Amino acid sequence: MSLAEYGFNVDNGYLEGLLRGFRSGILNKTEYLNLVQCETIDDLKLQLQATDYGNFLQNEPSPIAVSVIDEKLRSRLVVEFRHFRNHAVEPLSTFLDYITYSYMIDNIILLITGTLRQRQIAELRNKCHPLGSFAEMESVNIASTPADLYNAVLVDTPLANYFKSCITQTDLDEVNIEIIRNSLYKAYIEDFYQFCQNIGGATADVMGTILAFEADRRAFIITINSFGTELTADDREKLYPSCGKLYPYGLHQLAKCEDYEQVRQVAETYPEYASIFAGAGNNPGEKTLEDRFFEREVQINMLSFMQQFHFGIFYSYIRLKEQESRNIVWIAECIAQRHRTKIDNYIPIF
Amino acid sequence: SSPCSACVTSMYFRIARYKYYPYQRNTYVIGRQSIIIDFITRYTPNTRFTVPAREMGSILRSEEMMLLQLLLQSDSAYACVRELGEVGKVEFKDLNAEVSAFQRKFVNELRRCDEMERMLRFFVSELEKAGIPIAEPPLNCQAPDPHHLIDLETLFSNDEESLKQLNANQESLRKNLLDLKELKHILDKAQTFFQEGEEVLAEAFVQQQTTAGGVGGAGGGAPALYSKQSELNQKLLADSDVEAGGLATTRFTFLIGVIPAENLLVFTRVLWRVCRGNVFVKHAQIEEPLEDPTTGNPVLKSVFILFFQGEQLNARIRKLCDGFRGTLYACPESVPERQQVRLQVGARINEVETVLQNTKSVKEVALGKIAQSVEEWQQKVKKIKAIYHAMNMVNLDISHQSLVAECWCPVKDFHTVQEAINRGTQLSGSPISAIVNRISTPETPPTYYKVNKFTSGFQAIVESYGVASYRELNPTPYAIITFPFLFGVMFGDMGHGLMMLIFASVLIIFEKKLAKTKAGGEFLSIIFSGRYLLLLMGLFSIYTGIIYNTLYSRTTNVFGSAWRPYYYGTKNQSFGTRMFTNSCAPVSFTNCHNYPFDGACNAVYCDNRSEPVRCTFPTEAQLSSQPYPFGLDPIWLIASNKLTFSNSYKMKMSIVLGLFQLMFGVILSIVNNIKARSLISIIGVSVPRVLFLMGLIGWLVFLMFYKWCKFYSEPVKAPNLLLTLIYMFLDFGDSPNVKGDPVYSVFGINEPETAAQRTIQVILVITAGVCIPWMLLMKPIYLIVKTKRAEKTKTMKMMTDSTSMTVPLVPLEGHNSKMAEMADVSGAMEKGEVMMQEGKEEEAAAGHGGHGQTPSEILVFSAIHTIEYCLGTISNTASYLRLWALSLAHEQLSEVLWVYAIAKYNIAMFGSKSGGGFIIMFALWAVWAVLTIGILLVLEGLSAFLHALRLHWIEFQNKFYEGEGRKFKPLSFAIVLAGEEDE
Repeated sequence: MSLAEYGFNVDNGYLEGLLRGFRSGILNKTEYLNLVQCETIDDLKLQLQATDYGNFLQNEPSPIAVSVIDEKLRSRLVVEFRHFRNHAVEPLSTFLDYITYSYMIDNIILLITGTLRQRQIAELRNKCHPLGSFAEMESVNIASTPADLYNAVLVDTPLANYFKSCITQTDLDEVNIEIIRNSLYKAYIEDFYQFCQNIGGATADVMGTILAFEADRRAFIITINSFGTELTADDREKLYPSCGKLYPYGLHQLAKCEDYEQVRQVAETYPEYASIFAGAGNNPGEKTLEDRFFEREVQINMLSFMQQFHFGIFYSYIRLKEQESRNIVWIAECIAQRHRTKIDNYIPIF
Repeated sequence: SSPCSACVTSMYFRIARYKYYPYQRNTYVIGRQSIIIDFITRYTPNTRFTVPAREMGSILRSEEMMLLQLLLQSDSAYACVRELGEVGKVEFKDLNAEVSAFQRKFVNELRRCDEMERMLRFFVSELEKAGIPIAEPPLNCQAPDPHHLIDLETLFSNDEESLKQLNANQESLRKNLLDLKELKHILDKAQTFFQEGEEVLAEAFVQQQTTAGGVGGAGGGAPALYSKQSELNQKLLADSDVEAGGLATTRFTFLIGVIPAENLLVFTRVLWRVCRGNVFVKHAQIEEPLEDPTTGNPVLKSVFILFFQGEQLNARIRKLCDGFRGTLYACPESVPERQQVRLQVGARINEVETVLQNTKSVKEVALGKIAQSVEEWQQKVKKIKAIYHAMNMVNLDISHQSLVAECWCPVKDFHTVQEAINRGTQLSGSPISAIVNRISTPETPPTYYKVNKFTSGFQAIVESYGVASYRELNPTPYAIITFPFLFGVMFGDMGHGLMMLIFASVLIIFEKKLAKTKAGGEFLSIIFSGRYLLLLMGLFSIYTGIIYNTLYSRTTNVFGSAWRPYYYGTKNQSFGTRMFTNSCAPVSFTNCHNYPFDGACNAVYCDNRSEPVRCTFPTEAQLSSQPYPFGLDPIWLIASNKLTFSNSYKMKMSIVLGLFQLMFGVILSIVNNIKARSLISIIGVSVPRVLFLMGLIGWLVFLMFYKWCKFYSEPVKAPNLLLTLIYMFLDFGDSPNVKGDPVYSVFGINEPETAAQRTIQVILVITAGVCIPWMLLMKPIYLIVKTKRAEKTKTMKMMTDSTSMTVPLVPLEGHNSKMAEMADVSGAMEKGEVMMQEGKEEEAAAGHGGHGQTPSEILVFSAIHTIEYCLGTISNTASYLRLWALSLAHEQLSEVLWVYAIAKYNIAMFGSKSGGGFIIMFALWAVWAVLTIGILLVLEGLSAFLHALRLHWIEFQNKFYEGEGRKFKPLSFAIVLAGEEDE
């Protein structure tokens, strides 16, 4: 233990204890099995009552829409997160702020895309994740170029630093927005990675693993998604976050790839990714690559609870809860649409 | 042994009481139903031990329970369960444990209840918002019949609908009002805004004229508005193409609107950035907080006005306002127009407010109606929900005509239960009555005590250690006395006890009021539930306080001290002489102070000496006159050897009390063994335990009493009991007396009893030595032999008996043709019960480790228990010394408090005779009183309470109490309603 860890509990002990308590509220296998058996959304509500979620849907009138469940799940998580944030002291508070930046990026992109498609800001406002909301957020619709966006809106926000590399883009169109999103993420992940390394100790270890995986996953996804677009190999390489295990050799290889098969070959040189690609596919009975990545993400995040005195569990908890929300919503959607064949495609956590 | 006479009488009494018992062996008929009750089985000698406890009262042992099988007709099931819920005497067994919650039969009804509860919560929250008090419900509101459920539902949803409608109306009106009010504020502020704006613009224009020196050119540079952070320093660099005659305002577009105050800062900043400074902003806070139309919460808003030029900017600024949730309003530029609009707006506001007021009063009327019955509805829905929860635990009959429920019910309340079922059947108007069967089961029934408000507190103390196993001896009735008594031993002070008594009495006198208020939170409610415990604790503290003769660390001298020193040595010359040689010259009684007791101890303080003359050891003669009638002699208060005396006394007393309680525990374990009819446990475990305890600690206690009787006047010769006990073992019983050392000779030296002591001690040591292997081996060996023998016959026995364990259902109405069958059934039941009894006996015979059947396990368990008991004999007894320690601590603390808070200053003041002392005394008394309550009553009380608790849990209950039962959780509406309120 380093010296900092001796004092960990002075500042963060309460929150860590609380969080570990919350963690045991994450749904387990048997609870998922019960959820999957449900016939209607009302059954689902009844089953969720028996879990840690308790009465969170009790004030909703009876035909419950899936969107309502989604919203309630999200607001529950937000309440928990705000509680952590309000009780946190440095450097945990900054760490928690870093977690919100990814939501901020998502919100910005959502709003820009929305305004491009002539949606009303009031309509988009409700779709934004509350964790990533900030005061200037809703004024993005006045910006017509990235430079505008930066100067008018983002310059005061924590995202300003990440945005610098995007100012050169001329237009705000669909492709450019994707590029902006990815370069924002690249800058964000690298910055977050650096921040965690500066904290050091177990936080650096745990978050290093998690963020390296995150970075590599983005690199793979960007590569696969860019097939068939006009994005050049060089441009593509610029979007790869450089804190992953693929860096630098694997990223070069990825940049040269031209089809899925080549990507798979690149992945095969890395044992941890080889296994992910091995079981992935779009045929029935196989899981999609996205799900395989989610599974691995869940595994990695579970592991972070094995260590004590570090901030990684806060990140992991949020990620696991997000995954849980996705699972519940997936199951609810399957039930609502009477599409039970794929109901088992959720990703169990315990 | 034969059944006691009481139980036989009661048996006959019982049988005689049921007139329906003439000809059928096991069946009697009440009302419209045939009920099978196996009376013969109940009162055969096999079960005779269960009867006396039933007659004697339920607190000694838990209620006898039986498992009932109810065949409920599906149309009357609801009513029956409802009546059972009102009675609150049956616990439904979950027969569908493996079925998940949403697959059960009545899940739809439960869902409807949930929905109704949601609506009720909505009503309550609306009532709270409107500040309308909720009316008390009528005393007894029955759960409605299932077909009335729909009525309730429609009632609720209609109410909800109308409320929501009203809310929507209200919201749109409020929105309207908000807009109008915002406009009103804008119009109010507009005047100053325009004025200031014009001034600034004009000033800037002039400045521009002078500095730029008339740089002209139509359509020249874009207007550059420059605004700094500080509002006061806002300057305008007007464009150069403004005509000199006209004011700048005519050329500027302006937008005016309202924005939430918290967004204002960021808004202006972004605005400045977006327009590159080409905008002039004025804003003012609206002082009066406006109402948010949806939530009704107050929100602070600000009015802003923007001056700028150009259409492009206009569009961007409008977008920005939208983004920051600002609302823009059209505002006429000229003053008269504004005034006109202002008047119109004022009128509109009045109108809308009137309408709003009307809506509000309509809503209040609607809510007022709801408030009358919302509590009643809540209770009803809770009851319905409880009923369906219970009915979800029930199995469906194969024919789906009836429901089969199994439930536990106290044997005593069987008739209540039955009547409830009858009532339910009648109320539902079902032609076929429900059928009640008693079925036998190998399951252990739940533990149920009928407690009242007095015993419940004590029962709670026992149960926080562990719920008693079924029909086990309950420690509560003994704890009712021993617990407060042991507390009193540690807390002995008349004054403190009295205060506790008064506090408890207040709680008890006002208990009905206090029970309703529920104020004070969890901690006070715990104290409240233990009020009778507190009462007894107070009483016993007073009692022990009288024995210790302490009142707030002082003493009382009610009867006059019995201590008479003989200064002139008339009766005991040597003693008197010693006194005189050590102390002052002979004094007469008249020269002495009356301190602090009149008459009784005049000679203690002599006037020519500051130190009192103290008689440390009064002679036999001095005391032989007459002892103080009750408790300690008050003279001990000022004796220098007071502590030595009270320590010795309390230490011995603790051991004596400890022995009694431990012995009582062992005796209770014998009673348990008798009930289980386990002779081997009595002979193999209980007898050696008694011998071991009595041989060691019992002998010590006997010596204590003997010493008290014999050695009071000659302290030097008094023997040391501890050493006696130690050397009794080290030197095998005999040495101390033979050595002739006075320290060990309790019976005196060279007296006839000396030899007796030696003999007794030798016998005791041998007995104790024998007891250990006795405890260790006898029962295990017996069990091992027995199991081996049983194994040979077991398979045979099981094959013949297994059929009798299952009991078929018994059909309805007393058809004669069925009688034979019934007799068969009950015969089988009887057998089953006998089997159970045997099974239990075996289990009980195996003792605590009875489940482990291999010989080595039995031996290991026995070894553990033997070691535990033997060590416990010493350590548990020593544990009772805490009585002395706590009592000493309490006494010393209160004395320290008295001396340092009051007595010292008291003496000082009486010495100085100054009048100001009164005020100081008054203040000091407050200090003393606060500390007395805070430290002595609360803290010391808590610590004494915990130690008494420990003595009961560990030392006492350890000896006989298993505490592995399961609490009886009946379906009871009273519990349902009370429990929900607690949440």
